[in-house]
Amino acid sequence: MAMRQTPLTCSGHTRPVVDLAFSGITPYGYFLISACKDGKPMLRQGDTGDWIGTFLGHKGAVWGATLNTDATKAATAAADFTAKVWDAVSGDEVLTLAHKHIVKTVNFTQDSTCLLTGGNDKLLRLYDLINPEAAPQEIAGHTSAIKKALWCNNDKQILSAADDKTIRLWDRSSMEEVKQLKFDTSVSSMEYLADGEILVITYGKTIGFYNALSLDLIKTVDAPAPINSASLHPDKDFFVAGGEDFKLYKFDYGTKEELESYKGHFGPVHCVRFSPDGELYASGSEDGTLRLWQTAVGKTYGLWKCVLPEDLGVENSEQLYTSPPEIKA
Amino acid sequence: MTPPKKKTLQQHALTLLSGANTERFNMATPVSVLRLPKGPDPNSRGFDPKSARFIALCRTSIATSASSETNAEQLPREQHARSVLRETFLRCLLSMTNKKVHFLMHERVKVEATFGASDIDVLNFQVSDLHTPIGVQKEALIRCQDVISFTFDS
Repeated sequence: MAMRQTPLTCSGHTRPVVDLAFSGITPYGYFLISACKDGKPMLRQGDTGDWIGTFLGHKGAVWGATLNTDATKAATAAADFTAKVWDAVSGDEVLTLAHKHIVKTVNFTQDSTCLLTGGNDKLLRLYDLINPEAAPQEIAGHTSAIKKALWCNNDKQILSAADDKTIRLWDRSSMEEVKQLKFDTSVSSMEYLADGEILVITYGKTIGFYNALSLDLIKTVDAPAPINSASLHPDKDFFVAGGEDFKLYKFDYGTKEELESYKGHFGPVHCVRFSPDGELYASGSEDGTLRLWQTAVGKTYGLWKCVLPEDLGVENSEQLYTSPPEIKA
Repeated sequence: MTPPKKKTLQQHALTLLSGANTERFNMATPVSVLRLPKGPDPNSRGFDPKSARFIALCRTSIATSASSETNAEQLPREQHARSVLRETFLRCLLSMTNKKVHFLMHERVKVEATFGASDIDVLNFQVSDLHTPIGVQKEALIRCQDVISFTFDS
């Protein structure tokens, strides 16, 4: 019997959600952080979307947010020219790192000792979190604002995407540019999968998959609408994408076939990410909400419950539990 | 063989709503949900100190000024000192209510206002009659992060 996807809506933000990130799997489950233009990034339980806390302190829109692998630390990048590091258990602000312009992206190394930042001042900065008073190392090269910066290749290299329509690969020890990819149009998002060293890039209506070490193209897939973000499933069988037509698309990675599309958001989708166990994916939108979507529709997981046909008559009352009316941002 | 009974409009509607006869109308059943995700608490910033994760991972909410390893003897003394300081601060806020307070803030800002209240996380002070170089603001919120110090006559 066919089941229809029931997305779970996480409300709470009052402005567009522009970035989101999952932690790794911890003894307490996995977690999700969302960056919002309202300046108040939120931490949620990853498998249910339950709100855990709000990081209070930024004085401007938060453009980027990330968690370290064990979700003990969070980092955020904001329009108030600072990046902040937070204790993700207590919610307390641990560090404020002043920049000379809007900060757009933050990323921890696997051991959480170094924080990479990038933003409108076109510089990549590496902050030593053990000696935070020390001046950060700076990498110059991009000719426009940096949108996204990530550690890759076991934290030995850095990948950055900027409005200068390039993606650059840098060596951490030499601080030099190793390779560059040029595009005709601005890259809207970048995701890195350490397992398999795959880079997922979106630009225009295209989702491109590259080898993260060599920057060689693996394949491209075109979507029906301009795409703002895409995410590859950990098992590399599916990928999801969302963008300007408010829909979420699910594709088969092997065949490039569009499998499903889901309506739900009331505004463009800005970010989409698979959970670390691949059981769900989260999307953040201009409409101020996050939505959680099942990878295997109908499976019992988190708040979703598999209802067998013979139980349908008995459980009719809870079966069609729909979300309350949406409040537009 | 008798011809099948014709359904009334109401019976058609009931068939649709009950989800039966899905093959004919091609309507998939939406996945059931136990409940909706919990939203933010309007009264606090969260990070429940009673949660299992907090209790396991947060020994003290702020690192002690002493070495990074918790010294078993020093900890109770430090905690006592912290609670005395906290209580003094809260009593200070209480006695400030409806009094004229002078605020020294960043960027060489010195303003005077009648103190109303603080929010629970001490992020904002609600004040009235805020005297600024460009005029008197009847009601205002002062961002605590911008305040260096404040004084008042008790």
